[in-house]
Formats: sequence, structure tokens, C-alpha cells
Amino acid sequence: MAQSSCKARIAVDAMGGDFAPGEIVKGAARAARAGEAEIILVGQQDVVLAEMERQGIPRDLMPVVHAAEVVNEGEASATAIRKKRQSSIVIGVKLVRSHEADAFISAGSSGAVGAAAATYLGMIEGMERPTIGGGFSSFAPNIVVMDLGVNVDSKPHQLVSFAIAGTVYARTMYGIANPTVGLLSTGSEEGKGNDLVKESFALLRKSGLNFIGNIEGNDILTGRANVIVCDGFIGNVVLKFYESIGDRAKVWLMAKYPWVKGLVGWAFDQVLPIKKLSYEGEDAGIGILWGVDGVVRIAHGACKAEHIVHGINAARKAVAVDIVGNLKREIALLKQQGKLQ
Amino acid sequence: MTVEEQVKDIVSKIAHIDKEIMSREATFKEMKADSLDVVQALVAVEETFDIEIPDEEAQKFRNFGDFVAFVEQEVSKKG
Repeated sequence: MAQSSCKARIAVDAMGGDFAPGEIVKGAARAARAGEAEIILVGQQDVVLAEMERQGIPRDLMPVVHAAEVVNEGEASATAIRKKRQSSIVIGVKLVRSHEADAFISAGSSGAVGAAAATYLGMIEGMERPTIGGGFSSFAPNIVVMDLGVNVDSKPHQLVSFAIAGTVYARTMYGIANPTVGLLSTGSEEGKGNDLVKESFALLRKSGLNFIGNIEGNDILTGRANVIVCDGFIGNVVLKFYESIGDRAKVWLMAKYPWVKGLVGWAFDQVLPIKKLSYEGEDAGIGILWGVDGVVRIAHGACKAEHIVHGINAARKAVAVDIVGNLKREIALLKQQGKLQ
Repeated sequence: MTVEEQVKDIVSKIAHIDKEIMSREATFKEMKADSLDVVQALVAVEETFDIEIPDEEAQKFRNFGDFVAFVEQEVSKKG
């Protein structure tokens, strides 16, 4: 597949996600029509072409790369990518490896996407494990919490690598020149937290990053630190708790003040879609997989067409600002300064 | 470099395992390699030697030695 222009070529997993292929194809077509990226759909050709026809999408809008298999949610990620080498996830990742695509997006099994990317693209030197981070839209869109769930068991030096990736994220995606890094803990003083936090604190202090020490849960949304580092277990719990706040706030307000029920319902659903607090904004429900040697974005399994459009735009931006090259340079610089092991 | 040394190199680099503790008797678990490490190593070995390690064979590996022995056998078959 030759590159016909300087537009970013984004491979999209047409088979991944709760609403695939319909919503994925719809979002991909919308992005293709916008004309700012070349979209390559990856999936079972007959299924994808039938869906395109159903939606009245001309065949020549997006090429379809055939992938005979689909990795299902619930399959063991690591083994699934070896058992299903013809899956849309593996083939999509390999398109990036062969430089036939500049980035790959999937709303399929996030574990399988991470495993496929780590396996077939390889890890950047200095990054042991892929990681996903991002902001908490609405209240704190310009922070980076890293890791958000890829690594439920992490080691101290891995937390340092998450901090480096988060720093590059804040710099390249948010334009923050010297992002501050906070370590999520149970207290702001040094020495607070579990063994992982204590050992990570010592490593972060000498890492050369702009480390400001521990921060607590109530600092996450204040923006006290631009980058908040934690293991994926904590990060995922915090993210999902945050995602529930809007909906719970609405339920609570309507129960406490039943006389404004109509107003609250209308206001929250129409004017302030509070129950969607965590899903608004360009990055909604979709994140860059940091640490792998290529641009891969993982979308929320429940994502709809508009999220795919946002994801494609964000992938374009990630390619344009060269997130992979930036991360490599940051790690090389810190190593050169003797601040990384 | 022997096949065993090459496999050791690959696994050591991917799973960040000290070569000193990589004996033929050691299991992946004992070497603190997780499932992603193992999959990455299997694929890297397949691509390096241009061989295929079927999943049913990989599941029979009791330790690092079994893995190396299988690779040696497949490489020798290729001549």
C-alpha cells in the first residue's frame, strides 16, 4: 500500500468494540470524508464491505485489509494474539510495523491490543511495559494519570517509565513545557504509602523529571501535578470511580431535592450532561498506548462513531507531534544524564 | 553463537531476566517472566529463526530447557 500523500494513514480495527462493525465503520467513514487522514479498515472483508454497503459508503472511500479472525473479549490476551495471528488486532498492528499505516486504533480487547503492540512493534528501550494515560475530562482535562489499567502489578522502575511517558504526553499533547510529576499516595509526606510508592519515590526523586513528591487523591482534579503516576490497579479504580460521579450526582440530587427533579433531569441531560462527565472532549474514552514502538490507540469498548472520529484525529496529532520519537529522545536524554538505570 | 545462547539473549532482553539465572531447569515463572513476556519471546524466537512454535507445543514446555530443545529441533530440521 503506497503512501499517496502526506496525510497520516490510520488503520482502524473494524471488528473491535461493542458496536462493531457498524459504529466503527460509520466513524471511520466520517473521518475519511473529512479528508484529513487516509483510513484503512481492518477486518473480515465480507462483513466490513457488507456494512459499508448497508451504510451507503462507497467502496473506494476506504481500503479494507482482510483479517479472517476476531479476538473476542474475555480471551486470554497474550495467548489470543498468538492463536489468532490473522485477527484484525494483529494485522492492524503489523500494518504499523510494516509502515503501511502510521497508526492503529482498536476498540477491541485492550489487553490483546497491548499484547499485540508490545509483541509485534516491540517496546522502546527503557520502557518495559505499555501504558495508557490520560486526563479526566471536564474537571481536569489537562492532567495525565498514568497508568490507567494496563499494568495492575507494577515495579518501581516501571512507575518511573510511566512518569517519563506522562511527561512527554503533557509536553507534546498539552504544550506544557516542564510538566510537574506527582506520585499518587496516601499522604503528601515522603515515607507515606506502600512499598511500591516508597521505592518509586526514591527513584523519581533522582530521575531528572520535574518531580514534586507525593500527591493525594484530593489533588488529582486540582491540577497540582500535571502528571500523576500510579500503578494500573489504582489508576483504573480511580478512573472508573470518576466515571461514575456524574451519574451518581444526578441520582443523589434528584433524591435529595425531588421538587427540582424535572429541572435537574432536564439540566443535566440537556445543558450539562453531567452523567457524561468523563466522556466529553476529544480524548473521550480513547488513549494512546505509550511505550510501544509505534502509534497505537485503544478505544473504549463501548465507543460510538464520534469517538472513533475523535480517536482518528488524536492519532493524527500523535503522529504529527511524533510521540514515539519524543519518548525515545526523552529516555535517551535522561540516560545520558545518568538519571536512569 | 549456539541456538541456546541466541534464545537466552532474546528471552533475557524481552523479559529483563539476568542470564545468570536462566538455566534449562528453570521455569518461566521461576524466572519471573509473565505471560506477555512469554508470548513476546515466542514470537521473537519464531521470527529470528523463521520457525513456527504451535501453541499446543508451547503449552508442553515445562521449563526453559524444553523451549530451547524444541527450537533446536526445528532449526536442525531446516538444515
